[in-house]
Amino acid sequence: MTRFSIEIWGEMCPIPLIKAKKKLLSMQCGDILVLETEHSCTSRGIVVWSKANRYIIEEKEVANGIWHLELTKTHD
Amino acid sequence: METSSFHSQQKWNIGFIVFLTLLLALLSQISIHLTLITVLGISLGFVLQKSRFCLVSALRDPLLLGMTQLTRAFLLLLGISILGFALVSWGASQRNIPLILNVFPLGVHTVVGGVLFGIGMVLAGGCTSGILMRIGEGFAMQWVAFFGLLVGVVLGERSVINWRNVFGESPGIFLPDIFGWVPTLILEISSLLALWQLASWWQKKQLGE
Repeated sequence: MTRFSIEIWGEMCPIPLIKAKKKLLSMQCGDILVLETEHSCTSRGIVVWSKANRYIIEEKEVANGIWHLELTKTHD
Repeated sequence: METSSFHSQQKWNIGFIVFLTLLLALLSQISIHLTLITVLGISLGFVLQKSRFCLVSALRDPLLLGMTQLTRAFLLLLGISILGFALVSWGASQRNIPLILNVFPLGVHTVVGGVLFGIGMVLAGGCTSGILMRIGEGFAMQWVAFFGLLVGVVLGERSVINWRNVFGESPGIFLPDIFGWVPTLILEISSLLALWQLASWWQKKQLGE
């Protein structure tokens, strides 16, 4: 249950998703990846992608136009 | 712990709503027409921001990530628009109201412009409405994209006459004039349904479900 985070401020989709995919490969099952973005499309894209891949994802709009995401890696 | 650096923006939101209401009340004293257009614009922007609809994502994700949810949402949007347009167009022809649609025939300039816009919108991470919406959200990178957009629009507007003169354009085709309204609608909706099936199939194939 380690928490990882990657720096994706100011990045436009799909770059954050590609970075997250890369990071997920190096993570163990049960680890959590924390992401914060101000790009609306990025956040939605990651949520849709995680659901399609059956990962657990929690999304919260913490301030106007800023999204906080927590992605749990449930399987390899 | 990560969320502690953000404060609730509720009072800003309320303040903004009050400001907008007052502004609209002021505007309605000058012109009802302007007020209605402003309300429509603000509502569109609000829906765009909250739905986070992204045309770029709809067209790019199938190829890049193999996801087609948004592509299908876009097809649904097209379907609803087609039905709405048919309704408006039919109503207008019943009452003899001329429609000004700003629709132009296809030509080489359409293809060149489409390719340029496509490259630009993937690099900028947003189409026109997406860029405008994200400027409002505070995504600073889009200010640069907005400048590029303005340059592109001015260049296109200045040069479109030359493109038309050099390459010409195909004659305009209005399908309802050829097939009639109902067959056209059936044709269009069924081709959208076929695209929807294609998109579902593509996602299944790409994500291996």
